[in-house]
Amino acid sequence: MALNATRGYHSGLVDLTSGLISREIFVNDDIYAQEQERVFARSWLFVGHESQIPNPGDFFTSRMGEESVILCRDRAGAVHVLLNSCRHRGMKVCRYDDGNATVFTCPYHGWSYGTDGALVGVPFFREAYHSELDRTKYRLIEVAQLCSYKGTIWATWDAGAPPFLEYLGGFRRFLDLMLDGWDGREGQAELLGGVQKWIIPCNWKWPAENFSGDTYHNISHRSVDLVGVGPSGRSRRDYGELNLARKLHVSIPDRGHQTITYALPPDHAPQAAYQNSPEVAEYFRHCEEARRRRSANQRLIGAPGEIFPNTALLPRQPRTLAVWHPVTAHQTEVWRFFFVDRDAPKQVKNFLRDYYIRYSGPAGMTEQDDMENWNYAHAASRGVIARRHPYTYEMGLGHAVENYEWDGLRLPGRVVDLTKAQASEEPMRNLYRRWAQFMQAESWDELMPWRHEAAAVDARAAE
Amino acid sequence: MTEPLNIRALAVGTRVVLGSGAEVEIVSNPGDGIWLFGRYLASADDPALVGAEEMIFAQDVIALRP
Repeated sequence: MALNATRGYHSGLVDLTSGLISREIFVNDDIYAQEQERVFARSWLFVGHESQIPNPGDFFTSRMGEESVILCRDRAGAVHVLLNSCRHRGMKVCRYDDGNATVFTCPYHGWSYGTDGALVGVPFFREAYHSELDRTKYRLIEVAQLCSYKGTIWATWDAGAPPFLEYLGGFRRFLDLMLDGWDGREGQAELLGGVQKWIIPCNWKWPAENFSGDTYHNISHRSVDLVGVGPSGRSRRDYGELNLARKLHVSIPDRGHQTITYALPPDHAPQAAYQNSPEVAEYFRHCEEARRRRSANQRLIGAPGEIFPNTALLPRQPRTLAVWHPVTAHQTEVWRFFFVDRDAPKQVKNFLRDYYIRYSGPAGMTEQDDMENWNYAHAASRGVIARRHPYTYEMGLGHAVENYEWDGLRLPGRVVDLTKAQASEEPMRNLYRRWAQFMQAESWDELMPWRHEAAAVDARAAE
Repeated sequence: MTEPLNIRALAVGTRVVLGSGAEVEIVSNPGDGIWLFGRYLASADDPALVGAEEMIFAQDVIALRP
């Protein structure tokens, strides 16, 4: 099953009836180019966090797809996401990672923009342009929609996309697991340290698939488990509470978001964690007790998940978010953001910083395992013989359930109970189903079936 | 052609002369080496500019007013 243009994406390159997906979607340069238009120019993408730009004039240079954007707070305090490209000849107007600026000035011919994107300086405006240039036509290109959700900033270039929370759908509560405080208070997360950035030689969908909930590859991390990089000096994480929980895959159909999550029984008691530091252990014990009193999400424990298309969550241990920025079909730039509760004691933040970078990032022991797999798998899939043979995503096909409920806990979407099964590929199928929809759809109208269903229900009710 | 000035080093309050002969007082310096924010103190070519604040392009600055 190589590139089959006549059959299209559905039932062609992404055949979810049989559970087969062509390797072409990972290695084909034409498909990659089409993704930039169909997926990245239409989706909501993670841009940064408000804690990176607390003051007027603060900026953080981010990315949306292949393109550089400036996340900044203007002089009046409003947040903007602007394409980092001069309207005159396209040069980057900001070449710093972050900072504070009055204006963004293009070093090529000197055009200059305010922090709200307005063109404020044109060299020789009177002399060369005879004061005739309409400067209002040449603001920096600004995203069509922007949303700040519990401090995280998301943006899309597509004015026809649904609002961000509608885009998230039932996945919102899983994002909340990362953004709310350990003690259950809403939106307590702040960025810890800088953003780790590095380039890996594989297609962006390798890590996106992995973080969608690949529990099948745990064998890759066995050496890390044996070494004991976890915060209690054993395994990768604290597993005490996980042993009480049901392990689940949750996939949100029509949205393309999916995650692993752990569901705890009602009236569960906090388990010992972070025993490597008594002070940190006591802090988390206190937080866990407060969370049980306060949070509607208190029976869920976050685990790896993916917001379509390229934002990965790891809400619990370590608490990080990654963005898989496409560079070419064969290269991805990874940006990893680390989070901590903003009012956590300094000792806790320092302890977590050590744990986070020991686990994740280019030097993180667990992430190195993953990168080995992605990079070699990608390289081995590029050859003419390899490309003839699709990957199988048949695991657990037909075994997901809807309207999942366990002891009073209801979950949205399609759920696979992994407590006995250990693994399924339902999340990957959900990711690629949505990917194929994006690649094939002409507009957002085709990508929002839930709106059509709601309209049909309303019409029937009106009859 | 005059020697270029290092406008990044110019402090707020410095007075400069532009190619047009106008005199401007620096009110803010973003430090990018390309622009200054200045207030016109004198402008023979266009007296209406006096008192106005504008962005001043580096290549327009030809001299410091002692």
